[in-house]
Parts: sequence; C-alpha cells; structure tokens
Amino acid sequence: MFSEDPRIIVVTGKGGVGKTTVSAAIGLNAAAQGKRVLVVEAAGSERVAALFGLKGRSYAPRQCSSNLYTLSITPEEAIEDYVMLRIKVRALYKLVFRNRIMGPFINAVPGLHDLVHLGKIFHLEASQKRGRSEWDLIVFDAPATGHGLTMLSSPKTMMAMTRSGAFYDNAAIVEQLFSDVKKTQLVLVANSDEMVINETLDLYEQLDEMQSQVKAIVLNECLEESVKPDTWKKAASHFEDQPELMQLGNRAVRRSVAQKDAEARLSIQTSQPVIQLPFLFDRTLEKSDLETLAFALGSRHE
Amino acid sequence: MSDRILICCGAGGVGKTTTSAALALQLALQGNKVAVITIDPARRLADALGIPGLSHDPCAVDLSALDPTCTGRLDAMMLDMKSTFDSIITRHSPNDESRDKLLESRYYRFVSEKLAGSHEYMAMERLYQLHTEHDYDILVVDTPPAQNAMDFLKAPKRLAGVMSEGVVKWMSLPKDRVGFRLLERGSRTVMAVLKKLAGEQTVTEIAEFFSLISELAEGFRSRSLEMMELLESEHTSFVLVSAASPAARFDALRFLGLLNDNKLPFGGAIINRVHAPPSFSADDLPQLMPSKPRQVSRQDWEQLASDLQTVSVRQQRLADCDAPFTAPLAQDAPIWTVPHLEIDIQDPKSLALIAQHLESAATALR
Repeated sequence: MFSEDPRIIVVTGKGGVGKTTVSAAIGLNAAAQGKRVLVVEAAGSERVAALFGLKGRSYAPRQCSSNLYTLSITPEEAIEDYVMLRIKVRALYKLVFRNRIMGPFINAVPGLHDLVHLGKIFHLEASQKRGRSEWDLIVFDAPATGHGLTMLSSPKTMMAMTRSGAFYDNAAIVEQLFSDVKKTQLVLVANSDEMVINETLDLYEQLDEMQSQVKAIVLNECLEESVKPDTWKKAASHFEDQPELMQLGNRAVRRSVAQKDAEARLSIQTSQPVIQLPFLFDRTLEKSDLETLAFALGSRHE
Repeated sequence: MSDRILICCGAGGVGKTTTSAALALQLALQGNKVAVITIDPARRLADALGIPGLSHDPCAVDLSALDPTCTGRLDAMMLDMKSTFDSIITRHSPNDESRDKLLESRYYRFVSEKLAGSHEYMAMERLYQLHTEHDYDILVVDTPPAQNAMDFLKAPKRLAGVMSEGVVKWMSLPKDRVGFRLLERGSRTVMAVLKKLAGEQTVTEIAEFFSLISELAEGFRSRSLEMMELLESEHTSFVLVSAASPAARFDALRFLGLLNDNKLPFGGAIINRVHAPPSFSADDLPQLMPSKPRQVSRQDWEQLASDLQTVSVRQQRLADCDAPFTAPLAQDAPIWTVPHLEIDIQDPKSLALIAQHLESAATALR
C-alpha cells in the first residue's frame, strides 16, 4: 500500500468509522511483508490489543502477531517518560510531578497531553536495536477528526506558546518528524454516510499544508451493489402492494448510490486514492477479519 | 429556571449530536419549550436544523412546516468556547483592570482554546447560564466529542482542579510568599525544574496568568460547586447515546458505573442506528414478487428478484448482529432504539423522521 516506506502512518477520521480496525489491518498488512510493525493506541485505549485477544493495556510493546506489536499511551506515562529523559533523577521527578499541586498544573499546560503522545512516538521512531531501527513502521491509531488535528498541531501550539526553552526545542524536533512527507504519512478513514464524508472533507481542508502527507483515504464498510439502480427505477412503482419489499429495494439502491457518491466526492475533492474496504458482518472482529481487511488493503493498492 | 436538563453523553461517532437534536425536536413537538446546546466544530446541527451558522445565542427553529399547530418551541445554539470563557472572566473579575489584563494575557488565548477539559467545563457553564437566566421547560445538551462517554464527567473536575485555590496560590508564590513558608523550600526546586523544562519566559508568563486568575478562584470554586449541585439534582438526567456494537456497549456499561459511583441520575440509553429484521423470510420472497412489468426484461426481473433476496438476507444478518447489543444495560434502566434509516439529515423534516422514533424516550425523560 505504501510504496515510499514511511516510518510513521497516522490514522485518523470521524469517530466510529473503524479507525482502530483499519490501523490494525494496515499493521497486519505491513507485518505480512516482513516489516517489524508497532501499532500505537492513544489515551490509554486498549482496543487494538483486544482485537488480537490480548487483555488490558500496556505502555511497553506487546507482541500480538508475527512481526506485529502494540502499545497504548497514556499522557501520564508519556510525561513521566519525557521528564525522566530530561532530569534523570526519579526523586526529583516525584517531588515535582507527583505532588498534589503539580498534578493539576501539568494539566494546565495547553496541548501538553497531546504533544507527549507525539513525543513518545518520536522516541519509538528513533529507537535502535542491534544497530538498526527497532521498528520498520509505526502505525498510530490517532484520536478522531477534531482532536486528531489538534494533536497533530500540538507541537506548533507548544512552539507558539513557549517561543524558547526546552519545551520549545523538543516540540520543534517532534514537529520536524511529523511534518516530514517522507517519514510521516496520513490515512483518513471514512464510511459512506454523508455526514462522515462532509467531516472527512472538512478535515482534509483543515490539514492545509499537511495535505501532501495524506497517502490514502479509506472508505470503510463498503457493501457490494445488490439491486441495480436502473432496473429498480423501472420496477419500483410495481411494488406498491408490497411496501416492505419496496422499502428494501429503495434502501439498497440508496445505499449503493450513497457509496458511489462518497467515493466520487472523496476522490474528486481530494485527488487522493480512495481504498474501499468491505463491510464485516461480524461485530466481534477476530484476527481472520483483520486479515481479510489487510488483504484488501494490499490487493487494492499495489 | 428550567424543569429538566438532559445531558446527552456518548462516544464519538454514535450519532450524539443528531440524537440530541432529534430528542429536543421531539420534546418541542410534544408542546414543550426546549433549548438544545450543541458543541460541535463541524456545525452539523446547524445544517440539520436549517439554521445557517448556528450562533452562540438561542436561535428559534421553524417548526411550522412540521406541525402548524405546534405549541412547543425549539431554540438551538452552538457553544462558543471563547465567548463563554470571556463571560466567566468578566463575571468573576473584581474590577475592569484585572479583567482586561486577563483577557489580553497571551497565555489566556492558549488556555481558552487548548486547555484539556475546558470544552466540557464551558459546556457546563453555558448550560448553567441558560438554566439560571432563561425560562425553558427543558434543556438538552450535546456533549463535546470524546473518546468515551466518561470524559464529560471527568473534565470539569480537572479544570476546576487547575483553577483551585491551591494551585493558583502556589503558582503566584514567587510574588507573594507570606503564609506559605512550609512549601517554600520544595517550591524553589519545583520552579527550577519547571524553568528548565518549559523555559524561564513561559513559566513566568504562566505564573503571571495564575496570579491574575487567583482573584477569580473563589468565583470559579463556588460556581463549580453550584454546577455539580445542578448535575446531581432531580432536574437533571444523563442520557447515554450508544450504538449496537461491542465497543459501544463496553463504553456504555463503564459510563453507567461511573454515574452510579458519582450518584448522578441516569435517564436511559438510546441505541442508535439499529437494523430491523425484514418481516418476511428470504425464502418467501419469490412468492411476494409482484407480476413483471412490461418495461423490464425477464432477465432483469429475475436478477432483481434474486438481488432482493440477497438484500433481505443481508438485512437479517445486520439485524442479528445488532440484537445482542440492544438488551437493557442494567435492571430498571430504560433503553430505546432508533432504527437505521439510511437518510441524510439535512433539514427539520428529515430530523423529524428520527425524532418520531424517540417519542417514548421523550415522554419518559420529560
């Protein structure tokens, strides 16, 4: 799917469209190509781990499949991690950050919680093992649309706020990594719902100069066309005595028209490749479902 | 004062904004005077309600097309973070000078836009303003987009924590140390570490901001208490908007637990976009087909019959998938379902199609 081998793929999109599933499928797809892949979850989420049958969450990477690992970041752990790198003395860390008064203050630094997520990923990207990068690819299952965008712009926010100092310098190097077209790519996930498409196009607009980093838009939950719109147009009026059948046909046609519209709007208004993924009927996804999606990702775009 | 406050919580993507609007519309159509507050940068509710560019102030939705004899009223508005925060500063400031200083502070701009939890806090503040300053029967509040439904409950405490006297006094310590000798030694170290991390200028600016806001701390504190009181009161019900999926149900159960722990009143859950099974079996479909119209070829007609069969099988599968997730969340906890409608919400009319499925929810929550 990703010919130029990015180091980081950030997956975002409207809530509920399947970002986590798509992130896991992208990870699985890359792992199948022999890459050592890490899927990162934000805000203490544990859903990727659960997809692979792992219980709970962990800040340290856990293996979930061949070549595939996952971890989950909480801002608290990432802040501790970051501060320890700078001040090195745990007692000092405890004095400053574990006291009753400082806890709330840390929350008062605008954008810090978002920034430390990217900071952790920055360190994971740079991590070396046996003379080479520990991870060939990091897939970041980022927060939904609005928050995702805020998170991606958090280094800039910090830089504007601090204007100098250690926070500024750190934000600047994180910003460099996440705005590097070669290293960081974005995948937007949508489904055929009109509101979702509107929001995805809004998001694309707001990405501004980061648009060049968008690698693909995934149109998730696609159904095969079932009732031919042309036939239905001629036949629908004959179903007046069968309202339920009429409704069934109307809905099926509406659904496939919506799907076609969605794909057309996304591809015309963004000029980005739109990858369709199939709707999975099983709500409790298993690894085999992810493999289906991973296969679809691979076959549609290589 | 309003009699009822309905706070719609739910994870992102479950249709919270639309559901809040539909519930408010249904309540208005039942004859109540209703206001709905939405917190949404995508301005989806504005489109749905046919109000271009929803404003910070209540704006009447035209219900005459839906029910010419409707005695109810629906006002919609959008949360404007900056104006709400400004109004808080203005209200709590002891004098014009400290108000202006705060509003013009560079750090304030970041606080009012990016501070974690401030969206939620402002939503509550706006709710409180509407509750005390207006005379609606019912207020329906959409909550900010969140990873999970619980964020709304946690966030205001976090912000109130930041604004609490302890932090504020401590942050302004370098200016006014009297009475804080015990803390002082540790404070120097803490300050030095902070300066090392964030840069001297930033820390100084933040300290100045907190010193300014310390004059407002008491106002913040008492307002937070009043807000919490309102949330716990019999006026308020939390309504959970959810979807028929394992993740949404997991979230919903956790949310319910959190409400219980905090003794907050639960009104019920609305499960959105539930697929209904077809009322006939796919095997019976060939018999249900009408006679073939002349303008459709035999081949196309047979294809259509088989396609409709496929669709009804698909419909049944979707319904089977959803069924386990529409069971009650707890004993005595009402649950309402809204069917998956495959319609685009563009105007009050399409919103009314959803609203009609919330009739019993509206009656129960009224």
